[in-house]
This record gives sequence, structure tokens and C-alpha cells, in this order.
Amino acid sequence: MFGLNKIIPVEPNINFLGLRKNFLIFSILAILLSIGLLSIKGLNLGIDFKGGTLIEVSTKNTSIGELREILSSSYSDVSLQEFGDESIILIRLQNKSNQESIETVNSVKNLIQDKVVEFRRSEFVGPTISSELLFRGFQAVSFALIAILIYIWLRFEWQFGFGAVVALTHDVLFTLGLLSILNVEFSLATIAAILTIAGYSINDTVVIFDRVRENLRKYKKLELVDLFNLSVNNTLSRTIMTSLTTLLALVSLFIFGGEVIRPFALTMIIGVIIGTYSSVFIAVPTLLIFKFRPQDEDD
Amino acid sequence: MKNYPIWKSFTVISLVLLGIIFAIPSIIYDENSENWFLKNKINLGLDLQGGSYLLLEVQLDVLYNEELENFADSVRLISRDQAAKIEQIVIEENDVIVTFSDINKIKDIRDSFFQMYRGISLQINNNKLNIKLNDDYKKIIQDSAIKQSLEIVRKRIDESGTKEPLIQRSGKKRILLQLPGVKDPERIKDLLGKTAKLTFHIVDDENTSALNNNLAPFGKMIVLDLYDENIKYLLNKRAVVGGENLVDAKGSFDQTEGHAVSFRFDTEGAQKFGKVTTNNIGKRMAVVLDGVVITAPRISSAITGGSGIITGNFNAQEASDLAVLLRAGALPAPLEIVEERSVGAGLGADSIAAGQIAAIIGMVLVCIFMILIYGTFGALANVSLVVNLFIIISLLGAIGATLTLPGIAGIVLTIGMAVDANVLIFERIKEESLKQTKVFQIVKNGFDRAMSTILDANITTLIAAVLLFAFGSGPIRGFSITLSLGVIASMFTALMLTNFLVYMYLSFANKKELKL
Repeated sequence: MFGLNKIIPVEPNINFLGLRKNFLIFSILAILLSIGLLSIKGLNLGIDFKGGTLIEVSTKNTSIGELREILSSSYSDVSLQEFGDESIILIRLQNKSNQESIETVNSVKNLIQDKVVEFRRSEFVGPTISSELLFRGFQAVSFALIAILIYIWLRFEWQFGFGAVVALTHDVLFTLGLLSILNVEFSLATIAAILTIAGYSINDTVVIFDRVRENLRKYKKLELVDLFNLSVNNTLSRTIMTSLTTLLALVSLFIFGGEVIRPFALTMIIGVIIGTYSSVFIAVPTLLIFKFRPQDEDD
Repeated sequence: MKNYPIWKSFTVISLVLLGIIFAIPSIIYDENSENWFLKNKINLGLDLQGGSYLLLEVQLDVLYNEELENFADSVRLISRDQAAKIEQIVIEENDVIVTFSDINKIKDIRDSFFQMYRGISLQINNNKLNIKLNDDYKKIIQDSAIKQSLEIVRKRIDESGTKEPLIQRSGKKRILLQLPGVKDPERIKDLLGKTAKLTFHIVDDENTSALNNNLAPFGKMIVLDLYDENIKYLLNKRAVVGGENLVDAKGSFDQTEGHAVSFRFDTEGAQKFGKVTTNNIGKRMAVVLDGVVITAPRISSAITGGSGIITGNFNAQEASDLAVLLRAGALPAPLEIVEERSVGAGLGADSIAAGQIAAIIGMVLVCIFMILIYGTFGALANVSLVVNLFIIISLLGAIGATLTLPGIAGIVLTIGMAVDANVLIFERIKEESLKQTKVFQIVKNGFDRAMSTILDANITTLIAAVLLFAFGSGPIRGFSITLSLGVIASMFTALMLTNFLVYMYLSFANKKELKL
């Protein structure tokens, strides 16, 4: 009708695999950098994983400076931040014990009572809970990777499972590295985002692998590199279309979904882009390590 | 309508209609509706409707220590009866170690002790008796403490007038509370922060040297005053009567003493109280709440009616809160708040509004994009997408799931990902159209070829979503539910509804060739 789909040719012929060395070097550098960042700078852990107290208030005719002045005289470790709108302020406190924190919330509320229109939310996570949540998040991501590996192994040959998990690990590390650079708050919602990225990335990879498997049966004589290139090209327009529609929804969530959900949306946007990239440039080239046909051994 | 089986059309149309009809209760969202149909609506999570989430931990260590103290007291009593001399009693983390002067009576003492506490581990080492609080014994204490705490917490929350609270055990030693619509959790936290253990003790005003040396003799204890830390009382350790014998308590007003709590004992309590007050006229009776003395009036006459009032420097709220606590009963051990999340109604409403806007704009953008790329086929996919959204909403309502803010994010994300199955199909159709010219054969092959890819791709996403549900907590579970339902609904809408719509379109438009 509009014919816009002709932008992507029906049978594109781009030599993706020819570029594999460049992208491999890029990805290895990115991963090393991410690991370096994660071990030196670390993630900007939110109260879910670090423990502490968070109070969100909406104020009337009060600047963030005034509130800071009132609170910092009583608390040395208080930090304040505008949250989307200048009348909405987030107050964070690092607490020691459970009992202390509960008292802190009350006394903070009393100190700023007359400056505040509404206490929009208050959260407190004790030290035992935060370490439990971190452990469970780590568990969830690890189990997801293993479960996906097993599924791919059952449905395809094990080599595909290997390629998929290499790509997945790449996506998770790369995304975490970017979160560290961008100083995005790492919360329970971020763990959800990372697992969804894992699901999305594997979804993308599986579609291409599916085509590789089909082509392996169809073109018995074709060189593996050419066959992989053909498979990526076959599925290219789908890869681009799905990434774009997902990104459209995510960008809408990022812009309109409100301040609380923004770090989640940003993490997902980063992850979808990395996941799409890795399916084409990491997962498929990884398959080249393996010999899929008996006659290849004669080469 | 070439080759399209009637039963299949019927199934597709009825499923779509069901999806739309059961979305109605959630879309109308009448909060107080009692109508059987309108009741099947989505529950809003605390982060959307406002309310408080509290996670409480029962301080079991306190109970274990109490039990060790009990062991020590029992050994002292038994030894006194058997005329055995104790040199030293040491209470360690899990053990009480009693050292006797000689080893003659130690076996008898052990046997008598075992009569009182069955299941405890006892060990004799020369002149030392080691009483161990073993794990089995701890587990019994733990289970009964949690059960009792749950009951007391429920009573206190009910008394506070909170509507539809959710109170349940979480893990080994925690209690989870969800209090929808509670704006000010501080009062609830105050109510739960007190053990409310009430006991009545006779005051020993004669032994002044014990108070001066700050050393209580056996069978006595030193307790501070609630209002003035410099005032100390020497009390009989054994309570005359305790809060468990109360049948009623309420806030009252006394002309001379101000706000007070009036209470009434059950028959047993009234008898004990009457007997002790008769025998101790002239002495003082201390009212001890959570380890401090609230008041210690002198007994001027025997109180046999079984009721009385507790006075203190209360205001009206404090008196009525104390009455609530006394009515509900004492917690076996203190509760500590280890996690709290409270959201005001304002933020909740903002989140819903923002989520709706994001969903609508995301939807419109995706729809425009699909039409731009696939034309009429894109429009058909959009119909599927809208139906998909209805199905997610109706499934959420039907299973009584709770919609959270991350849950809304899951729906918006699903909108983006749901078209994937359609895209896979259309791309296959596009490829097939290059190979042959028979329109219906092209469409059939397109759907068939895309099928296994769609299944593989979506099952991996489902695996991630299920694991999120298994390991996630609270709001994250909300996200995994909407994501899973979205993935399942999108498989149905793409493979059945889009399929149906494409066949209908091709039949009615009588297309002779297919260009995508």
C-alpha cells in the first residue's frame, strides 16, 4: 500500500560475517571495559540492594536548598534530589539498624512537616533484606541463563545453545557496564529489565538460528560463512521491524511513563539495542567455531 | 471464504468476544461493585492505589534468651528442693551451664529437669550440667511464636480499623502486611512496635538495700518507672495476674486521674486478683507494661469485683491505643520492621495516569508504524494488537491478578513485542510470494513456516518471565505476570486471529495476487 517496506530489500545481501572481526574486537573491548567499570566504579545501587530510607515529598514554595539545610543539621548522610519536577524531592538516608531507621523516618517527617504538601512515598529496606534481595536477583538471572541454555539445547543442537549463551552473557555484561557509566539507579526493577532483555535477546537469536537450521538442511553445498550470511539477511527485516516496534513502545514508556519507571525503560532501551546487535554480530559468528557438516572436516 | 473451516472461525470469534467482554469490569472499574460480573476486575497493587507494605521479623532471640533464663530458674528451684548447692550458672548463646559443688545429686536433678522440659538435650560433665537449647526445641518455640504473633497482629490491625488488610507468614520468622489505603502507617507501626505484655506485681518496699545495691535477690526483680528513670521498684518476679486474663479493656476518663484505661478480668483473673489484694492491703501493686512500671498504687482495700482502671500520664489517643493493645493481647516476642514501602494515593494516581498515557501513545506509534510498513496487512495486525490488549486485561481480571506499576510497564512492553509474531508471519509471506502466485497457498505457507519460530522465540521469553515470578517479590511479580499473559495472548492473536483476518480479507477483496 505505502510500499515503505521496500526500504529494506526483500532479499538483502549484506556481508555481515565479513565484518565479524571488527565487531568481535569492539565487543571484547566493551566487555572488558564493562567488567573493569563494574569492579572499580560499581553500580549505583538503590535502597533495594543497599538498604536505607527513601522519602518522596511534594513541596510548596520551598527550594531543595532549604530542605537540605533543615535536614543536614540533623543528619550528616542525607542526600536530596529533584525528581522529575522541581516541587518533587527525593530524600535518601543511609541507615544502620532497623529500629534506628523507623525512628529516622518519623523525625524527618516531623522536621519538614510544614514545608511539605504530600508525603508521596516512603520506603525503608533493612540491611538483612537488601542483601537477600541482591542474592535472589543474582539467582534469578543465573537460573534464567541456565534454563534458556537447556531449552535451546533441547530444541537445537548444543552448539546453538553455546552461541546463544555467549550472546546473552555479552548482553547482560554490556548493559551493566552502560548502567555503571550512566549512573542509572540499580533496583529490583532493573533486575526485571535485565531478565526481560535476556528473554528478548534470546528471542531475537532464536529467530536467526531457526533460519540457520532451516538453511543447513536446504543448502547442503553452501559454505558455512555464506550460509550464515544468507540466514541473517533472510531474517534482517524482521529483526529490524521487531526492534523498532519494541523501541517505540519503550521510548513512549521512557517519556510518558513517569519518573519511577524511567530507569527501567532506559535499561530496556539499552538492552534491546545491544540484544539486537549481539544476535547478528556475536551469536551467529560464534557458530563458526563449530563444524556443522562432516565434509567440513576435509577442508 | 476458501478452505476456512467454520469451527475455526467460530472458535476465534468467540475467544475474541470473551476477551472483550471480560475486559469490561476492569475498564469500568467500579470499586465497590457487588455485581457478580463487575467484580471480576483487576486489583490495583499498593503502588497504584496507595497503601503500606510492611515486613516484620519476630525477634526470636529474645524468646530463646527468655527460655534459657527459665531453664536457669528451674534448675535453681529443683536444686533447692533437693538441697544441692550450685556454685555457678553461666548462660551462653544456646546453653545453660550449671556448676554444682559436688556430683552426688546431679543425676537426680537432671532427671527432674527432664520431666519438666521434654525434648531438651542434657549432658553431665563431672560436676557440670549442660542444658542445651537444641534446634528441635527452637523450632517448637519458633512455630508457636509465629502463629501467636500472626493472630495478635491480625487482632491489632482489625482493631485499628484498616480495611481489607493482607496478613501472612513469610519465610521462617517473618510476617508480611499489606494495608491498602493506609495513608499514615506511623500509627500502625506504633501499634505493632509494642509487645504489650501486661503484668501485675506486688512491690517489695521493705528490702531497701537491694534497690540501693541494684542487685535483686532470688525471686525478685528491679524494674524502672516509665516516666522517671530515677525511680526504681523491687518487685516479686512472679506476677499476680497477667494480660492473658483480661477480657476487656477500653479508654476511659477519670475525674481525678485524667485519661485512663479501664479493664475487666475473667473469672480466674478476678479470683487471683481478689485473693492477692485481700492478703496485701497496705502494700503497693505495680502495673508493668513491656518491662517498665506504668503506675504502682497502694492497695487500700480488697478488689474482688474483677475490674479496675490503669492510670498514667495518658492523653486520649494513648489511652485508647493501650486499650486496643490490651484487648488484642501480648505478642510473644517483639517485632522488628525490616522493610517498609508506603505510597500515597497521589503518587499512585499519577502512576496510573502516566502508565495509561505511555500505553496509548506506544500503541498508536506501533499501529502507525505497522500500517506504514505493511499497509492493509499492518492494519489487520493492529486489530490483533488491540484485541491482544483486551485479552491481557480480561485475563488479569479473571485470575484476580494484582496490577502494579512494573506490571503496566510489562503491558507497554508487550505492545511492542506482540507485533513480533505478526512480523514473522508477514516476512514469511513476503518470501513465499516470490516463489509462487497462488494467493491462499502463499498465506498458508507463510503461517506454517513461521509457526515453529514463533513458538521457540516466545517460549524463551516465557522462561525468563516464569523465573522472574519464582524469584521476584511484590511489584516484580506483577511485571512477570503481565509479561507472561502478554506473550501467551500474542501467540493466540497472531496465529489465530491475524490468520482469520487475513483469510477474510483475501476472500472478500477477492485478491488475485499478493504484494507485501
